Amino acid sequence: MVTPYIIHFLVFVLGSLLASLYFSFSEYDILNPPKWTGWDNYTKLLNEPVFWKALWNTVYFTILFVPLQTFFALVLAVALNQKLRALKLFRLAHFLPVISSWTVIMYVSDAVFNPRFGFANSLLQAIGLSPQKWLQDEHLVIPLLVLIAVWKGIGYIMVIYLAGLQNVPSEVYEAAEIDGAGTIQKFRRITVPLISSTTFLVLIMSTISTFQAFEQIYVMTGGAMDASSAGGPNKASLVLMIYLYQEGFSFLRMGYASAIAWVLFVILFLLTVVQMTLQKKWVHYE
Amino acid sequence: MKKKKIAGYLVIICSSLIMFLPFLTTVFNSLKSYAQYTKFPPEWLPSPVQWSNYAEVWKLGSFGQYTMNSVIITVLSVIGALISCSMVAFAFARLKFPFKNTLFLVVLGTMMIPPVVLIIPQFVIFKSLHLLDTLTPLWIIEWLAQPFGIFLMRQAFLGIPRDYEESARLDGCNPMQIYWRIFMPMCKPTFATLAVFTFMTKWNEILSPAIFLTSKENFTLPIGILSMAGQWSGNEQYMVAAALMSLIPILLVFLFAEKYFVQGSNSAGIK
Repeated sequence: MVTPYIIHFLVFVLGSLLASLYFSFSEYDILNPPKWTGWDNYTKLLNEPVFWKALWNTVYFTILFVPLQTFFALVLAVALNQKLRALKLFRLAHFLPVISSWTVIMYVSDAVFNPRFGFANSLLQAIGLSPQKWLQDEHLVIPLLVLIAVWKGIGYIMVIYLAGLQNVPSEVYEAAEIDGAGTIQKFRRITVPLISSTTFLVLIMSTISTFQAFEQIYVMTGGAMDASSAGGPNKASLVLMIYLYQEGFSFLRMGYASAIAWVLFVILFLLTVVQMTLQKKWVHYE
Repeated sequence: MKKKKIAGYLVIICSSLIMFLPFLTTVFNSLKSYAQYTKFPPEWLPSPVQWSNYAEVWKLGSFGQYTMNSVIITVLSVIGALISCSMVAFAFARLKFPFKNTLFLVVLGTMMIPPVVLIIPQFVIFKSLHLLDTLTPLWIIEWLAQPFGIFLMRQAFLGIPRDYEESARLDGCNPMQIYWRIFMPMCKPTFATLAVFTFMTKWNEILSPAIFLTSKENFTLPIGILSMAGQWSGNEQYMVAAALMSLIPILLVFLFAEKYFVQGSNSAGIK
């Protein structure tokens, strides 16, 4: 009965891992068999300014995105965790972006941030500011992508937090109230520490997935028309996964693309190890 | 009402509006004429309401084709995930076989491997099987038991008391019958959770179709709609209508199975 998984593991995990490692040390264009080139791909990669730019963009995106989403999701979960009416309706509103594909989200955010006829620019004009080019602006593109990503994903993280909050005993809050603690104090001194194991999981999960972000940037920066134009303008939103996709699937440099994948893998591994080590310092277990 | 509750309502109502208003605006956009859609400063309400945008989307044959492709991939993936994950999970929860614990550790370990290192070899595998530019790679992988599903089902199976199968075994049931007659009916909610999650993932997926598919007639909805930009230039409001229509199936699933979405999100957090 475990056969499906054994096939899965041998072919699509173990076999693929080894193959990908081998490719990363070869020149491989799919059409001809891979040719061993040693560390060539890696030295080329580390000397390539575009790679460093992509790495920086990825880090910049993650550093903005992960804390913002985690913080606002927790605030929403706390607000929602007090038996409000119309809970179902509120949850639907927050889940609507979660269940939408990035293609849908692209048109939804375009309604607001279209540089020619979006509502954001009309608002700016109304208060006397000059219109912006939003996703087509080199400096705005990543912050705006982050904002949209937080907006899309927050409902999902909120639900994870809601489940965590169910485990915080209400007596603790009652005791704090008797001692005269205010809302913000209770949030900082009780909720945040007692829910830190959920926060830890959320942080690890979102960091790993954000480092591999692809779909949003591919769709929203024009990759769907022409894969090589994704990550624009002027490579300002070129993240590692987009770089990998273009090198591997647009230019068929599979060996080089595999090297990007392995560098990404090593970074993720180190990040997880660091987070695991730090975990002992701030995560509260009962 | 307590002050705290009022504050809670305020936060939630504001954020619900921030979540919902852009969608409403998009629905209005999908009903505008091209002239009104591209007008600056923009008008919120469509006038006149142009319902024909939705009909126009279907007139172009490829939208129906994309819908069909998405349905095929999603349905086959859901069936495959339910069968393969529950079988493997049953084996892990109840059967005895060599290296069982080691293999389960492997399952947990593979959940941690970032998919990015596996994409290129998968592409090569499907190329050598001559399956590139067909729908097969997009669903066949779900028939091979993904670790998240195994983990989810195993947790549910472990919660079933052993007494049930003991008496079934005394009545002469073999493991396959125990799995069919006892475990499957008792874990319906978990099956539903895995089904809605697989549905959502596959319906919305962009990376894999973008890699495995090259001919337009094989595209799924999310990438297919984007590829219609050229044909509909000068009528971009059609694309808004098309995108919104692609949201309807998943929205219906959500409305009918909301609690399974919530359960699934929580187990994703636990993993």
